[in-house]
Amino acid sequence: MVREVSESCVESLLAEIVLSYCSGFYANKPELAARRIEAIGFQVGHQLSERYTMDRPRFTDNLEAIKFICKDFWSELFKKQIDNLKTNHRGTFVLQDNRFRWLAHMSIDPSVQASGNIQDPSAMAENKSAQATGMHLYFPCGIIRGALSNLGIECAVSADISNLPACSFVIRIKA
Amino acid sequence: MIVCLAVVGHENNPLYIQSFTESDDALKLHHIVHCSLDVIDERVNNPKKSSPTINEAFLGLLYPTENYKVYGYLTNTKVKFILVTTDLDIRDADVRNFFRKFHAAYVDAVSNPFHVPGKRITSRTFGERVSTIVKSFGLSSAS
Amino acid sequence: MEEYPEELRTPPVALTCLVGCPEVHPLITAHLHSQQPPINAIALPDFSKISVIPPKKPSRDASGPLAGIIKRDWLSKHRTRIPAVVAAIFSSRDISGDPAQWLQVCTHLDNLKASIRGRNTKLVLLLLTNWDNKDDTSEECILALRKRAEVDSKNLIIFVPDHEEELKQSLSRQVPFIVSLSFKVFGLWTVFGELANTYYRDEGRRVRTRLEKKNYTSIELNVRYCFKVALYAEFRRDWLEALKFYEDAYHALREMVGTSTRMPPIQRLVEIKAVAEQLHFKMSTLLLHGGKVLEAITWFRQHTANYRKLVGSPEVIFLHWEWLSRQYMVFAQLLETSSFNDALYVPSTASVPEEKPTEWEFYPAYYYQLAATYLKEKNTCLEFALSMSVDVGPIDGSAESVVASAYLGQYSRLLEHGDAFIMQPLTDEEYARYALAEGKRFQDSFEIIALLKKSFEAYSSSKAERTAAYCGLQMAREYFSLNDFSNAKQMFDSVANLYRREGWLLSLWEVLGYLRECSKGMSSAKDFIEYSLEMASLPETTGSVESFANDCGPAGPATLSEREKIHKEAFEVSRGDSELNSDEQNGAFKVKSDYPLYLEIDLISPLRATLLALAAFHQPMVKPGAPSLITISLRSQLPINVEIDQLEVQFNQSECNFIITNGQKPQIGSVSNLQLGRRVETAPDLVLATNKWLRLTYEIKSDLSGKLECIYVIARIGPNFTICCRAESPASMNDSPLWKFENLLETIPIKDPGLALSGQKAIQVEEPDPQVDLILGSSGHALVGESFILPVTVASKGHAVQSGELKINLVDTRGGGLLSPREEEPFSSDNLHVELVDMSCDTPGDQSEAPSDKIQKIQPSFGLISVPSLDVGESWSCKLKIKWNRPKPIMLYVSLGYSPQSDEPSLQKVHVHKNLQIEGKTAVAINHWYMLPFRQDPLLPSKLKSVSETDQAPSLALNEKTMLIISVKNCSEVPLRLLSMSIETEEKSSTCTIRPQQEEFREAIVNMPGEEFKKVFTIFPKVNSTKLKIGTVSLRWEREQPHSNTTASQVTKHRLADVNVELPLLVVSLECPPHAFLGSPFLYSVKILNQTEMLQEIKCSISDSQSFVLSGPHSDTMLVLPRSAQVLAYMLVPLGLGSLQLPRVSVTSVRYSAGLQPSTVSSLVFVYPAKPHIDLKPGDA
Repeated sequence: MVREVSESCVESLLAEIVLSYCSGFYANKPELAARRIEAIGFQVGHQLSERYTMDRPRFTDNLEAIKFICKDFWSELFKKQIDNLKTNHRGTFVLQDNRFRWLAHMSIDPSVQASGNIQDPSAMAENKSAQATGMHLYFPCGIIRGALSNLGIECAVSADISNLPACSFVIRIKA
Repeated sequence: MIVCLAVVGHENNPLYIQSFTESDDALKLHHIVHCSLDVIDERVNNPKKSSPTINEAFLGLLYPTENYKVYGYLTNTKVKFILVTTDLDIRDADVRNFFRKFHAAYVDAVSNPFHVPGKRITSRTFGERVSTIVKSFGLSSAS
Repeated sequence: MEEYPEELRTPPVALTCLVGCPEVHPLITAHLHSQQPPINAIALPDFSKISVIPPKKPSRDASGPLAGIIKRDWLSKHRTRIPAVVAAIFSSRDISGDPAQWLQVCTHLDNLKASIRGRNTKLVLLLLTNWDNKDDTSEECILALRKRAEVDSKNLIIFVPDHEEELKQSLSRQVPFIVSLSFKVFGLWTVFGELANTYYRDEGRRVRTRLEKKNYTSIELNVRYCFKVALYAEFRRDWLEALKFYEDAYHALREMVGTSTRMPPIQRLVEIKAVAEQLHFKMSTLLLHGGKVLEAITWFRQHTANYRKLVGSPEVIFLHWEWLSRQYMVFAQLLETSSFNDALYVPSTASVPEEKPTEWEFYPAYYYQLAATYLKEKNTCLEFALSMSVDVGPIDGSAESVVASAYLGQYSRLLEHGDAFIMQPLTDEEYARYALAEGKRFQDSFEIIALLKKSFEAYSSSKAERTAAYCGLQMAREYFSLNDFSNAKQMFDSVANLYRREGWLLSLWEVLGYLRECSKGMSSAKDFIEYSLEMASLPETTGSVESFANDCGPAGPATLSEREKIHKEAFEVSRGDSELNSDEQNGAFKVKSDYPLYLEIDLISPLRATLLALAAFHQPMVKPGAPSLITISLRSQLPINVEIDQLEVQFNQSECNFIITNGQKPQIGSVSNLQLGRRVETAPDLVLATNKWLRLTYEIKSDLSGKLECIYVIARIGPNFTICCRAESPASMNDSPLWKFENLLETIPIKDPGLALSGQKAIQVEEPDPQVDLILGSSGHALVGESFILPVTVASKGHAVQSGELKINLVDTRGGGLLSPREEEPFSSDNLHVELVDMSCDTPGDQSEAPSDKIQKIQPSFGLISVPSLDVGESWSCKLKIKWNRPKPIMLYVSLGYSPQSDEPSLQKVHVHKNLQIEGKTAVAINHWYMLPFRQDPLLPSKLKSVSETDQAPSLALNEKTMLIISVKNCSEVPLRLLSMSIETEEKSSTCTIRPQQEEFREAIVNMPGEEFKKVFTIFPKVNSTKLKIGTVSLRWEREQPHSNTTASQVTKHRLADVNVELPLLVVSLECPPHAFLGSPFLYSVKILNQTEMLQEIKCSISDSQSFVLSGPHSDTMLVLPRSAQVLAYMLVPLGLGSLQLPRVSVTSVRYSAGLQPSTVSSLVFVYPAKPHIDLKPGDA
């Protein structure tokens, strides 16, 4: 039984989640809102990874799991694979999606959001639009973290949108 | 006949454990399931070269007790399924097939948004589905 | 395994018999034993004893009924009493020729032969001889003896015990030794071994023929024959054949089950099992010793599977379990003792079982555990059987006369008939009674515990903690059944920990139930209540039928009602309403005021489910004395509501502790024993409902700065029951495992969700605001070299300053410390770029303070000084003296710590911090350069060669005067006063003379910022040197400070670079008057001095100039003789006025192709319009 969801619905839902958390529940506490959105992503990733790993042999190392995220997992979510995977071989992986779908309809002044690293709220405060975009990135970051966590890899995930429409997700595995 | 079925989380905590016997030996079955976790650990940590596929989810017969056979299955997410059966002559293929169906049921159960990851599964739907699978297992091996 | 007879446990060893000459027996026996494989020997001192070897029985009547399968003593008989070889030992004297003796020998031999004839036993002759007369024994005698005994020549051995060499030879197997009779004599052991082998092979073959011909009447015989063949094969160390026949015997025996009717059914089965056990033991031993672990395990599996279902008749079912348990235990022991190496994982060529053994079937622990399980089963069945047999009446004495009969696994009654004993077969009832009586004699529990312990330890060491825990649990249950509560509790506790950690609720419920009973048994009310509360607050496994299972230990099913029952029981005991009864006499234990009950719940206690206390301050920081809100949230999982009489909240600052009393409850005595002055709050009610937060918010203030942390929340329930619960922060609340895994509805402990996520049980109380000014007198930049003085003032505005302390730190603003990394010596003060030199304070007028109070500590970049007590409004200051060795900006941090009250100096410190950046600058820049005397230009050799002149030391001409100009520039921003300037020479005066062109300053010269001051010196080098050290300029200066004369003068030194002194090759000097007059001619001459030893060709030319009319050669080439001078003279008449450029003379040395061009400055002349009235003669300059 294959269940499908319209892409635009997912996008609208994401936008609505961000809106209601950022300007509804936790209007003046952006960290708390970020934490909640990330937590939602975490659970989604956790559950999806359960399903998408169902028919595969167990992964032997972290790289295999990351590759799974890049290929199969990403294909299931976005119908495309991650375009570029880089690693320092010491637990940091950079996954770059050259055209990240969930940001495709987002318009950002490219001149001011150069330092749009969502893990650094202080840098973000200077720029409202980057902040808003950053809020939309907590959800996919949470998905990746949830999926990896369910595969037994505890990590921290951040996103970098310094060259849109490409989006890089940085995974740092906790030693 | 399947007498006990358990889902054990990655901290070796029971996520779901259900026995299908009339008699009062639930606790004994709990102990059998719990002890078999040691065998899974041993088997996963020191894989034997002879085993057919090294990282297959199906772990095969864990150990024979005098009246039961215990089979194990380890998912990619480090969740263990343990099956205790009284059928002493049973084919691996049947068990494999059973676990596959059970895995699907499990995935559906934990994909429930109201299920909190890592907690005991209390879904009634899951329970019903599992008992259907368990019944069908009895039928297929009998035929 | 120990209960098996020796002959069964060890591999059989061939048996021989020595007869005669007892003196050599020990020697031979020892030798035979020492060889590999060893040979046993019966030593018979003389031939009369030969009758101990049992004679061959008459052939059994084939038609008669068979009494049993295998004779019990058959194996031991062959190992100890029936030799394969008999060695008759004769001394050489016996056959030396004395007929009487010879006759004796013959008799002996005949007897011997007669006695062994029936058995086919081999005969060996041993002839004992001395070394000295070993050749005496005649060949004929030996031959005669051999004939008499009818043995082969190789079976007659000459034995020389008294000669070591010979003895060794005759004993050893490899080296045959040749006597004069020239036949080979083999070693004793070899001969014995070979004969024994032959004997056993013949015997085996004999029995095997019967088997092959199916020449047996019953299966019993089939089994027996197979067994015998196998055993004979074992004697020959033919393990393969042995194994095969044991297997045959085993299979044949298996067929007997259900078919044999020879005996009553119970005893029949007992016999079969006994034989099967022995056969299987033999096979396992053979397989394991052969390293075939896999086969052994498979065999064992099959063996137990074959017999597990053969429980036999119900009244003696315990015998079955005992038997089965023994199978497991023996196999475990075998497995343990066999060499356990990696080879066993390699499947051998033999039949691979369809199902491979799993990991644990290789562990002895697995079998020990099952042995224990079956022994427990036996115990249960035995107890049941005993309880049934009580009705039969006391067991009569008849059981005592039952003994094991001649056949393996059979028992019979021994009846005394006068002198004779008669074995009478038993009926099944008699046998059952006997077995029960036997069973009663043994206490199995200790055996069970020992087995489990072995298994427990083995599993623990192989990291199988869960299985080990299960063994531990079984062990603990066994201890419990023996009423050994302390041992049981210890085991149960460790098992409970595992179940708690992994959240196995039902197992935990069982264990806790036992633990509760144990603590009851040990009369420990505290333990009892702890376990009871833990059980009562275990999460419920909703939707699972399992909690209703009945076999959940002494506490019954894990249902809610059961939990409630336990809860009530615990609180009854805690209130002292009921006593804790135990079976022991001293057992009654009651909680009363003499024995209050105090439970402590920490962060890892399992009782966190019973009571969890969270404390959260609403702010992270608070001012001293300002109120802050704290919320105490309590939660309990107990099934019934608990009413707390009183709560006490304790902090690390004990003044903040407060008490919350229950408004519903009358104030009972508990309040009276509190310390007075404690804050008491009253809450409307203090009832903990199941899994609901009880939230209490109060205001709290602290006057002490620092950390204020909530440590304990203490709940008092009833007069003698206290639970002390360590407070936790909501932010760092670690989940209790049981909650973590259970799908409970989770509520947040505090209404504010932010606080619920991030609340902390500790708050930072800030310092009071300082009311003291710390003033750093800034006075601009510091100058390198001077001691820079910085005044620091402490001025009290609102606080008195008590035990103040001033800390000074110098920090390089660019980081990297104040030490230059390049410098080597760490402790020289020169290395420090900036250092704190001194701190001096103007002591206030009153000298009230004792000098001992003063702490003063100075390090290059750190200083500490104590500040005297100041009253409000007073001030105090000190001066810091800082010295810069290099220009560098530094940051000065000054912090003042003081306490505003004098009574408690140590408690409350207030800190003021100030910092100031100070730039250190170079005061003066000293520069220097050299100038040649006016209109003189020496051609130095170095000038000819040098390509790049920048990196070269300046060159000076030897024996020529050179000017040295030193300039000093004020780089600072303050006026400086220059006091003196001199050059300290390093060389002797003979090499070079330097003298100032001016007088020393009469008074200090004030040098304003940016100004430059110059001083001229002359140098006259007298030595040709490439590296002449000129010396160091030393300049004394001070700050120009109009109102203070205290500043010390500073000396700045500047070392002049080394110079190169050379003898110039040519010196060109221009000569002309300093001024001229319009129209009047003057002489302008160029003198070329050749200082070389060579003739120099010089080209000389003069350019025309509009300002002058000149006479003389325009262009000329001339030769200058060595060490002589040539003068080129021109007469010039000026045509213009003012400062005029003389016509350019260019002199070029052809040899060096170097031009000597005088500088433009030096070729100027001033032309006056007319001669002044003062008569000036040209050339006066």
